[in-house]
Amino acid sequence: MEFAGLVNDIQASAIGEWMRSSLKAMPVVEATHVLAATMVFGTVLIVDLRLLGIPNATRAFTRISDELLRLTWWAFGLAVVTGSLMFAANANTYVINTAFRLKMLALLAAGINMAIFQGATLRGVGGWDVGVAPPRAARLAGLLSILLWVTVIMLARWIGFTKGYNFVVPDDPNIKFDF
Amino acid sequence: MAEFAAWLHATAVSQTIQSVGWIVPLVQCIHILMIGIVFVSSLMIALRVLGRMRADEPFELVWLRFAPWMWRALLVMAITGVVLIVGEPGREFGATSFWVKMVLLVVALLVTLRLGRAPASAAARPLAVGLIVLWIGVIFLGRAIAYDVEVWQSLSSHT
Repeated sequence: MEFAGLVNDIQASAIGEWMRSSLKAMPVVEATHVLAATMVFGTVLIVDLRLLGIPNATRAFTRISDELLRLTWWAFGLAVVTGSLMFAANANTYVINTAFRLKMLALLAAGINMAIFQGATLRGVGGWDVGVAPPRAARLAGLLSILLWVTVIMLARWIGFTKGYNFVVPDDPNIKFDF
Repeated sequence: MAEFAAWLHATAVSQTIQSVGWIVPLVQCIHILMIGIVFVSSLMIALRVLGRMRADEPFELVWLRFAPWMWRALLVMAITGVVLIVGEPGREFGATSFWVKMVLLVVALLVTLRLGRAPASAAARPLAVGLIVLWIGVIFLGRAIAYDVEVWQSLSSHT
């Protein structure tokens, strides 16, 4: 199967090998991934809550979304890069892991929800940008976004408890640290 | 500290957390979600002090918008953190990252209180930058607890 071959090539790549053999690469990349994920979730949450009228509608929606979504996209880019590095280390295991597959689906759903919001719902923003409650479609988009991002983060954490390893971890790695 | 960890590990509540498979993953999820709220709320406050976010609003308004979310999420984060410590006391107390993380956390809270009281003082801008760096450090060290030897090498308290 061509897909399995591609995944295998990714795992066998020099980057995958480096991620597995470097002592510091995995902790640094994972920590950066968590940092990026918390940043995506926190910034998206502020925008989504504003759609739901929390805490109120006094600050213009477009203003809040413009000032925060820049941060969201930077953090998301960082999450994609670090996530790809983690994937390369153990690609064959990730693609058959249920939590990983569901996480990718939830990410896709979050993207579709955002695309519909940006492409359709946001066109009428002039009528509800400030001072009034956003329309039902906008509130629904905000609620869905919160639920989907919480799901993404929970499934992501679940991967770590379910994936196992498909390469042999030596019983006695005999690690020596020389300075 | 090792004796305390061993005692805690043997308690009924610790045994329960260890043996019920879904508790640790679920509590970790909540812990991470709360960090997202605490970190970004602190970031908003710090960026406002630096004039890079909501500069059209007075600091007071930004503080009132984000500080309550920060403190409440922090409370949930602390509770879930305690559950994780009780569940795996040796792993936490034995990690250099854990202790450095606790120190940075306390400093971050003191800096936040200071910013809330005196957002226009001469020290406010460097403190705001420091607050962002401190939270990034706390998040890094939180993940690094699982890799204490790799990260700290001979400085790791894991033996």
